[in-house]
Amino acid sequence: MNVIIVGFGFIGKETVRALYKKMDIIKRLDEEFRIIGISDSKGYIYNEKGLNLEKLINIERLSDYMAYNESGSAEELIEKRDVDLMVEATPTNIKNGEPGLTFIRKALKRGIHVVTSNKGPLVVAFKELTTLAKMNNCQLLYEGTVAGALPVFSLVRKCLQGDKIRRIMGILNGTTNYILSKMYFEGTSFELALKEAQERGITERDPSYDVDGIDAACKIVILANALMNKDIRFEDVKRTGIRRITQEAVSLAKKANYAIKLIGVIDKRIEVAPKLVPINHPLCVHGTLNAIHIESDLAGRITLIGYGAGKETVSAIMNDIFTILKDLRKS
Amino acid sequence: MKFDLTIALPDRPGQLVKALEPIAKNGGNIISIIHEREEPSTGIIPVSLVVDFPSKLNLKETINDLKNSGVAIIRAEEIIDTTHITVILVGRVDLRKFTENKMKKVKILGFEVSSPTSEDTCLKLELEVPAEFVEEVMDHLRKIAEAENVLLLSPI
Repeated sequence: MNVIIVGFGFIGKETVRALYKKMDIIKRLDEEFRIIGISDSKGYIYNEKGLNLEKLINIERLSDYMAYNESGSAEELIEKRDVDLMVEATPTNIKNGEPGLTFIRKALKRGIHVVTSNKGPLVVAFKELTTLAKMNNCQLLYEGTVAGALPVFSLVRKCLQGDKIRRIMGILNGTTNYILSKMYFEGTSFELALKEAQERGITERDPSYDVDGIDAACKIVILANALMNKDIRFEDVKRTGIRRITQEAVSLAKKANYAIKLIGVIDKRIEVAPKLVPINHPLCVHGTLNAIHIESDLAGRITLIGYGAGKETVSAIMNDIFTILKDLRKS
Repeated sequence: MKFDLTIALPDRPGQLVKALEPIAKNGGNIISIIHEREEPSTGIIPVSLVVDFPSKLNLKETINDLKNSGVAIIRAEEIIDTTHITVILVGRVDLRKFTENKMKKVKILGFEVSSPTSEDTCLKLELEVPAEFVEEVMDHLRKIAEAENVLLLSPI
């Protein structure tokens, strides 16, 4: 299998590192597995015989690798002959999904399997992209887009095949959970907890993406479309952030044995809002943890807990790659 | 539908069986029965039953049959399942707005107001809501909260 990686930021680099580390197992599945190209926002590197992963894990910028094509674009890389799989790891843009959306469209049209951890394209064009994949007989896997390492899509698709999912709810954003946990345990104000999250690099300078529930709403869109057969867009999610949560609210809730958490829910209502979570409920996890609670007709209730961002996301990307490798072997 | 049916029976052998007959005849399913015979006997024994009837009409007919056979009815009323809900309101809360109209079915079991450090007040309400109206009551609270620009925190 010939693989290209589009995007050489944090996730792109960590994916290369994981592939290098696990190459023995991968080669057992496919002796011909190789990474033939990687692009960043300015150019790409390409070698049809396979790139040297040992060198790649030791460079900071892609241009430090030999024969960096400075004027080349990711689209050129996608057009190269014999590309079988693209790992798309460009930055998330939820307004128009670009540049990831263009890359994914192009790859799928050429029958290239796609693995992505980028929410943007799926939030903007879920139906279009999944239809495109089906039409071109290739796979589009996106486990890393929702709650990082938590295997929610794989779990439902592989292990709950006879179930009807009735409700999904979860803590889908680690930053807001960090802030609310700080307020809960240390009695700090929202502003102070947010400042600390910014200082620790957990949230961006503009925290709106996290604290106004935008990130969680994007994940709700993908979960609803992928697992509950809905056809919703970002605007369909009723969204309330956590800016108005006061110390007093947190402590009143605490006295009544609740913690306030930013919860995404898909049932009759599709919303992201701060809610009261009983402290003995499996969703009541703290710090930067994520949790997803699934209610289905046969299995009843299942909760997944784990880290939703950072290098743990690579676990999801790797699993998607392995899934495609194994499916190809079977066929 | 579940009903609390309390009857008074003469303290004589065979009276309970006689009283249960009309219940069965009218489609009642007895869920529990409390029969407390005191010593020394006062001559009358109160018997409390929880009975599931298909409708109110079945209860009515049972009561008629019981009365006709000389059994006194102390109490016969529907048992309403209730749910306790905690909500927290953040903002400039006018409690009257939240408790009028549709909230008639709701009992306020308790409330607590925080001492506000900002202009937003924080109010915790403990409500008892008939189980069948939970959705309706929550929808009502959501609408008022939205109209009043109050943040409503409800349980998951």
